[in-house]
Amino acid sequence: MVAEPSRNFRSAYYEKVGFRGVEEKKSLEILLKDNPLDVEKLSTFSQRFPLPSMYRIHVWKVLLGILPPHSDSHALVSRYRLEQFDDVNGALTAMRFIHASTPATELYLRMYQLESRQLPRRSELRPPDDEDENFLAIGRAMEEIVDDPVDCYWLIRCFINQFKLKFGDSIPHLPKSLEHFLSQEDAALLAHLKTSGALRSLPYCLWFRRCFAGCLPESSLQRVWDKVISGSCKILVFVAVEILLSYKIMLMGMSDPDGVYNFLSNMPQENTDAIVTKAIDLWHKHCGTPMHSV
Amino acid sequence: MAKDQPNVFDLVPLLGSTDLHELEQVKNLLQETLSADKGTVLLNSLVDYFLETSSSQAVDILSSVREPHDKYLLDKMNECMGKQSCRLSTITLLGHIVRKQPPWIHKIARLPLLASLLKCLKADSDVVVLITGVLVLIALLPMIPQTNKQLLCEYFDIFGRLAAWNKRHPGHAHGVFAVHLHASVYSLFHRLYGMYPCNFISYLRAHYSMKENVDTFEEVVKPMLEYVRIHPELITGTKEYEVDPIRWKRFEPHDIVIECAKISLDSKEASSEEGYSTLSDHIPRRPVDHSRSCSELSIHEITSVTPMAAVRQSLSLSLPYLTVTQDSGSSAQTPNHQSDRMNSSGTMEEMWSPSSVCGMTTPPSSRGMSPTTVSDVSHSASHLSGRIPSTSGDGKWTLSPSTPSGSSPLPSLSEEIGQPAQNTSSTQAKVIQTGKELRKVTPRSINNNGGASDAKIPVSLAQLSDIVKRTDGGREDDTINEEILSLTLGRLDFGMRQGLDSSFSGSLDTLLSSHPSHEQNLVSTPNRVEFSAKGGGEQQPWSFWPTFTPIENGKSSNCSLSDLTKGSMPYEPLFDLALPKVASLFLELKTTEAIRRAEQESEHQEELEGEDLSATSPLEVLDRVIQQGHDTHEKVLKRTLSSQSQTADPHSGGPVSTASDELGMLRSQLLLLHNQLLYERHKREQHALRNRRLFGRIVNTTALEEQNNSMKTQLKLQDIEIKTVQVSLKEEQRRSRHIQEDRDALVNQLQTQIQQLQKERNDYYSKMQELKSDLQENQKKVGEMEAELQKANNKVCNMGHMLSQLSIKLNNSENMEQQMAFLNKQLLLLGEANKLCMKEIDRLGPEVSKELNMLQASSLREVERLRQSSLQQSQRLEAAQQRITDLETQLPKKEQVIREQKKLLENVKSQAMEQLQASENRYLAQKHITQALQAELLELYSQIELKILNTKSPAKPTSEPNSPPNQRPKSNSTDPSAPSLSADPVKKEEGMHVCVNGEISAGSPQTPTAFINGSQEEDLSALTRSFPALPCDSPLAVGSYPSTGSFLGKRAREMFRNKSESHYEGEPAAFTCLSKDLKVESVADPTESVELEEATDQADLQPMDRPRAYNIQRRRQQDLRIMDYNETHHEH
Repeated sequence: MVAEPSRNFRSAYYEKVGFRGVEEKKSLEILLKDNPLDVEKLSTFSQRFPLPSMYRIHVWKVLLGILPPHSDSHALVSRYRLEQFDDVNGALTAMRFIHASTPATELYLRMYQLESRQLPRRSELRPPDDEDENFLAIGRAMEEIVDDPVDCYWLIRCFINQFKLKFGDSIPHLPKSLEHFLSQEDAALLAHLKTSGALRSLPYCLWFRRCFAGCLPESSLQRVWDKVISGSCKILVFVAVEILLSYKIMLMGMSDPDGVYNFLSNMPQENTDAIVTKAIDLWHKHCGTPMHSV
Repeated sequence: MAKDQPNVFDLVPLLGSTDLHELEQVKNLLQETLSADKGTVLLNSLVDYFLETSSSQAVDILSSVREPHDKYLLDKMNECMGKQSCRLSTITLLGHIVRKQPPWIHKIARLPLLASLLKCLKADSDVVVLITGVLVLIALLPMIPQTNKQLLCEYFDIFGRLAAWNKRHPGHAHGVFAVHLHASVYSLFHRLYGMYPCNFISYLRAHYSMKENVDTFEEVVKPMLEYVRIHPELITGTKEYEVDPIRWKRFEPHDIVIECAKISLDSKEASSEEGYSTLSDHIPRRPVDHSRSCSELSIHEITSVTPMAAVRQSLSLSLPYLTVTQDSGSSAQTPNHQSDRMNSSGTMEEMWSPSSVCGMTTPPSSRGMSPTTVSDVSHSASHLSGRIPSTSGDGKWTLSPSTPSGSSPLPSLSEEIGQPAQNTSSTQAKVIQTGKELRKVTPRSINNNGGASDAKIPVSLAQLSDIVKRTDGGREDDTINEEILSLTLGRLDFGMRQGLDSSFSGSLDTLLSSHPSHEQNLVSTPNRVEFSAKGGGEQQPWSFWPTFTPIENGKSSNCSLSDLTKGSMPYEPLFDLALPKVASLFLELKTTEAIRRAEQESEHQEELEGEDLSATSPLEVLDRVIQQGHDTHEKVLKRTLSSQSQTADPHSGGPVSTASDELGMLRSQLLLLHNQLLYERHKREQHALRNRRLFGRIVNTTALEEQNNSMKTQLKLQDIEIKTVQVSLKEEQRRSRHIQEDRDALVNQLQTQIQQLQKERNDYYSKMQELKSDLQENQKKVGEMEAELQKANNKVCNMGHMLSQLSIKLNNSENMEQQMAFLNKQLLLLGEANKLCMKEIDRLGPEVSKELNMLQASSLREVERLRQSSLQQSQRLEAAQQRITDLETQLPKKEQVIREQKKLLENVKSQAMEQLQASENRYLAQKHITQALQAELLELYSQIELKILNTKSPAKPTSEPNSPPNQRPKSNSTDPSAPSLSADPVKKEEGMHVCVNGEISAGSPQTPTAFINGSQEEDLSALTRSFPALPCDSPLAVGSYPSTGSFLGKRAREMFRNKSESHYEGEPAAFTCLSKDLKVESVADPTESVELEEATDQADLQPMDRPRAYNIQRRRQQDLRIMDYNETHHEH
């Protein structure tokens, strides 16, 4: 990869001029050409650069382990996945948990529950609890991003599993680190939030458990999820910090914690791309750019 | 506390109690309650109480409230300030508090009270309130020097408003009030100029550049400006710096007061401190100031409107008395004057208590001023004042008799004294007079008087009044005032003078008219006589005023004189103690001052008639007015006493006759007076504070001086010591020089000795040298002898050696001889044997040579054959070596292949693992599905069972079998899908296996691994079988190549195809040829050996040959087999 002969000599200037992702796409293609895919390199790439949208789903699948690194067995494994999906789907239909008009997200939830052996009896159906709501929110967001229902289900399932497995321990500490970084970025805002008591009642669940699903539009959300899937939950903190900084003026005007919560929960959907870009920059600034020769 | 509360409120009115003990108790109780209570109720009630009664006790309590109450108090006062009715008393209370200077007073700057005070000062139209307020503000300013621009502007606005007050409200302010107002404005001016010069000057510049304000400036502000010197801050400071809090931090309030006083040139306002600090510079100047201030005094009197006539009158009349009192030390006095003085002293005792005067002007006794010192100083002052006439007495007193009999000595005296005063006042602008100069002046004035007396005498007071009535031009006729007039003409206030003149004439009239008894006193002076003669026709109803005022005035001026001296008194003893020299200087200063003052007194007279109106300090005027006020008070008293005689006067109305009016005015005047007094006292306190500090410094410096002196004496002692030490040092030096000389002599002697000894030593040395050379020669000889001896010894040794050799040779030759004999014997024997052998050979014949030849030929052939075989073997060796190198090159390739295969295996393994994981996943999913389905199933079952139980039909057993079929189709519908799904993968997996192994023939029952092994074995056996004829195994059997059929083998073959194919093909041919050759040879060999056997009888050689051939063959095989690695076991 170092001695890449067809390396474009202009590549050094692209970034200076402001074109990002010209070289990155190429290098990602090179990465994807490897036969046993180097998952580690892929995740580093995804941490450092934004993923081109045409490869995003593929890379996510590989990173989440839905597809094995060997491209030879991709067809086989994806057939397995499809069959598993069909099986579970069929079983659920047979058990009359779902029917033709069931929304896809609920279908996914039931499937997930069945697979994790948490499927309630049909006679004991209960309204979705917090965790189910989180799942549904993430599912809705993923549905927007992914077209194919099978892929969608697998991505949701593996995303949630990986998120719980990898970051389950660190999520309760995220509010604290949010406070820390906010104090570095804007102590006045933090002080205001503290005095008004809003700091304790920020929408942490929306931010850190649902990974901003339902908070940011999908176009911005998938850039955040790139980083989450490639193994960093810190990015969530920085997105939160950047949201607070962006709406600082509004927040300084509000002293009611509920008002702050409501405002942040139903954030305006415009300008989120800029927020995410700034958040990623901030993240790189504070946590350093992940160094791995790509 | 709750119980005490009502009691405490009841106590408030008790503050008015007259019982001192009770009062004390009540006060203490109230103060305790205040300090304990946080509430504002008591405080408010106290304030209300004060507003009602103006009780001094309440003031005491209020002005000593502690920290938390101050805000409430000030708020309450702010509230009261809003009400017109109690504004005055509130300001008075504020004044009390401010003067008390509580520690929290600086907070006032942030509270609304100050703002409302300023507002009041800006808006209120009551003069009394204004004056009181201004005084409070002046006292407050040094305590809150850190101000901002806004406040500063307000101060300046107040100043501007008050300065223009008289102008704006002519007649609005009562005359006395005007004086008070003017005095307070004057003080405010000083304070503002002292504290914020730059800002203030810029304000003045801005304010008085407007046209409408020019008049005010000319009349009010300009005269004030004459009493200040240029403030140094005007040059070094800036506007911003003045309001800078840092600047004010190092000043305490009294520092600020002194700072303000420093820049004043007015004796009333100015600090006397400078006089001490730089005494020599300031001594000459002070008298001038005094004289000037005295003249100012009289001038400003004229500016005050109503009592002006009286003032003037009193002053003019007092002058005779003044001169008398001053001259009291001297003996030359007319009896009339004596009686006059007696009279005046009598009245003085009646009206004035010196203590009251003292109390007003001197600091309180708490300062530690003892009455004795006061009396001392006053005594000295009076003594000094008495000395004046004595110094200049000769000229003066001789003069007075020389004047014509008609004129009295008094006017001339007064004039004479006035003369030098005038001189001083005339020179004040340019000349700084020393005390000595002053003394020179007096004779000169006497001379002047001598000249002027002639002209003077005819001028009576009546004439004077006439002259005064005229405009200023007419004044020039007045010979007495000639000089003054020429100096001050331009500055006269004409408007004022009109009033003056009339009043003057009026007062003169009164003098003459209806009270001969009193007039007698005055008339006793010849001046008065003349005056009465002139103005006799005129009648004036004012009876008592003029008569008593002179006495009063004289006294009061006397008092003021003593006051002045007293003012500086309390510190005098201190300086006496601390600084003897300074004290003496100070005394000198005092004397000059006293002289000056004496002259000033007379000067009053002069200036009264018409002098510099703008040159009088407002404070001086105020003093005057106060005295005047007192006079009026006196008069009123008198009048009430002798009402009968007084009421007869028809004209007595005026300001005095309307009693109620007058009373009200007097009351407010009194109030103002009190305020003024309090303000002055406050000022004194500030001065006293500063003085105490300065005194502390002086004590320090004297202590340091003492120390310095003692150090000096110590220094001297040490000097003496040093001298004695130096003398002893010289002695020691001399002694050491002696010792040095002795030592030098000794050294010389010793050196000569040393030289002698050296010479001797040299002699000895040369002798020794000679002896040494002798010794060497002898030694050389001995060496030669020894060499010779050695040579001889050598020769002896050689000879011995040769001798022993010769003996050995001899022995040898003897042995040889014996051997020769033995050998000769043997030779004989051998010759005989030879003869016998020759005989034998002749007998044997030619057969022997033939066999020999055959043997030789066979051996030759044998050699040839061996050579051949060795050649062959070397060739084989070469081939084998080549083979080894080939194999060695193949080895790393193979290793690489193995590595790659391992990697591939790993890869495949991980791939399989993932696939397995995926299928595992699937399996788990299936399991979960089935579990879920089972759960569902069970649930349904339970439902059904429950239903059955519920229905409880009798045909239970029959219904049971029915249900499974119902159930089954359902389960069947799901079940088949699972098996079919699970079956499929198995099939596919098998297919995969087949694919992996690369076998096209699917469905073989063998396991892949077994298959691989089997095929390999088959291959190997086939290989071995394919070369059975060869004596040695082919190196191809190396065949560690995996089987061609196996998957690995396939790959391996692909890799090796290029290299090993040729190897495969070429080798076998070469080997077969070689083996064929060998076979032929091995067949040929035995036949030959049989022939040899038959030809020759030497059997022992044959068996040796055969095994060798076999061995060679065997070895060849083995050699070849070395190349075969793992096929040796196939051989057997």
